[in-house]
Amino acid sequence: MAADQGTLTVGRSRIGTFFANFGGVVFSIVMFFPVYWVLVTSFKPQTEWSSFTPTFIPEAPTLDNFTSAFNAPNFKASLVNGIVVTAVAVLFSLIIGFLAALAVARFRFYGRRAIILVVLAVQLVPFVALLIPIFLMLQSAELTGDSIIGVTLVYVVLLLPYTVWTLRGFIAGIPRELDEAAMIDGCTRAQVFWRVILPLTGPGLVATSVYGFIQAWNEFIIINTLNDPEHQNLMAWLMQNQTSRGTYWGPLMAGAIITSIPVVIFFLAVQRNIASGLTAGAVKG
Amino acid sequence: MYAVETPPAPVQESPRPPVTRRRKRGTGKALPWLLAGPALALLAALLAYPMGRMIVLSFQDYGLKQLWSGATAPFAGLENYLDVLTDSAFWAVVRRTILFTAVSVLLTVLIGLGVALLMRRVGKTVRLMMIVAMMFVWALPALVQAQVFKMMTDSDVGVLNYLIDKLPGVDFQNHSWFFTPTQGWIVITSCVVWAGVPFLAITLNAGLTQVPKELLEAATVDGANAWQSFRAIIVPILKPLLVIVTTLSVIWNFGLFTQNWVMRDGKPEPEFQTLATYSYVQAFAQNKYGLGSAISVITVLLLLGAMAIYIRQMFKIGEVD
Repeated sequence: MAADQGTLTVGRSRIGTFFANFGGVVFSIVMFFPVYWVLVTSFKPQTEWSSFTPTFIPEAPTLDNFTSAFNAPNFKASLVNGIVVTAVAVLFSLIIGFLAALAVARFRFYGRRAIILVVLAVQLVPFVALLIPIFLMLQSAELTGDSIIGVTLVYVVLLLPYTVWTLRGFIAGIPRELDEAAMIDGCTRAQVFWRVILPLTGPGLVATSVYGFIQAWNEFIIINTLNDPEHQNLMAWLMQNQTSRGTYWGPLMAGAIITSIPVVIFFLAVQRNIASGLTAGAVKG
Repeated sequence: MYAVETPPAPVQESPRPPVTRRRKRGTGKALPWLLAGPALALLAALLAYPMGRMIVLSFQDYGLKQLWSGATAPFAGLENYLDVLTDSAFWAVVRRTILFTAVSVLLTVLIGLGVALLMRRVGKTVRLMMIVAMMFVWALPALVQAQVFKMMTDSDVGVLNYLIDKLPGVDFQNHSWFFTPTQGWIVITSCVVWAGVPFLAITLNAGLTQVPKELLEAATVDGANAWQSFRAIIVPILKPLLVIVTTLSVIWNFGLFTQNWVMRDGKPEPEFQTLATYSYVQAFAQNKYGLGSAISVITVLLLLGAMAIYIRQMFKIGEVD
């Protein structure tokens, strides 16, 4: 009993626990299998991934699929482009969002509630629905095609609501007394910001920017609609690979691994904050 | 435990002179608007304005000619809406999207809740296994999730056909899962549910740790069975969390685009269209931007209708803050 502290003590029996553990193991295997399948397929030679009888452990593991993925058209351009677009979008949404979060969390002013509502409400609108007018707007401003300015702006706006909302939570968590103590000691508002709020929001800024990175990195519909194939990101490149090379599974899965690695690592690093950010409303309400 | 806030530091007595505060009042009025200004300007330019433009477009006949010449699109009145609403293909898409949303959300929430309860019942090692497996699934980009399912259900080399074929008396060699819409949608739904369970299970499991053990023990002492404890104690405590995760799942799944798009190679057949892909195809493949906008407007209205509860909750949050 003592071993499973934290477990519910309703109707437990030894047999019940056995079945629960068994169910947990089966569930884990079923969940993990597709992830495993991406991994092993990427190391299989063509004879193995293209056969009806699959090998569950590659018999002749090879890195050919990765070489093939690296050499696929537009890989390098998409990699560089994706990094630039993602990094710039995250940076701008962080700066702009942080200032707005500061206003909402630290000031009482007329219109504050309206801002909170707008930030929450825009998350309801499916972005694909807005893609038509946005495409027409950016097209006439000549920010599409071979320009990455348009798509970067769209990503900034895409990340902004979540950024404002999460950072608001982090700033609100800093006791006001700290601001006041600093002001008594002679700090100006600007100094309070630089010396108190900014350092204490550090972990929040990291978590928010990582989440923003994942969002922007994983996006491929908007960038594929707005930009030429030579000016897209890795995720859109992966989709092009699928449609142009069809069921060429080995190289495709190698490409999937290359594009996923950064987000998987970042995700695992901050997953606790992502879950709390998404359900923040439930606790507050 | 969800709260991102750090626990407030112990408040120490610091009687401060109110004088410094008074002085700040003058600049204080404009400062918050200056801080929020850039964010509001961006949201206005790339969210509010496009939203208005979308509504205007839905009343216009906007095609290729307008796109290339930049000429003003002719006013079309209600023509786009009439075209859409009298089109039986559109209604099939609406029905399909709603059915898919209902089934996938129900399955995701039920399985997520079941797994969360299971996680409380299993030993430490098994729980860790479950969390690790779910984390990897959750971390995968949606595009890759869809591609794996496409590969596993491939008619020639799919591992699923191989495994089913192993069953005695079943021939699944070269079975095509996307030949009939029902089977195709089973694959798409499985993918969406598989991808959605981790968020639900991990969030609800965290919520379950909030359930006081004493309450459950007291109920057992009073003779309640497991189901009664679940109904009378666990569900009410989890309810706010359940509402929010269900709402989020509805929003995400109603806007389904990636999975059916990827599994049909970017050209979904009519039977595999959802509202999101349908409006996208009308606009960007058929160059009927007005018609596509009308479909988008209807989609947003449908979603807002379904989200009425969530919106009320949001207003409450706005009041509390």
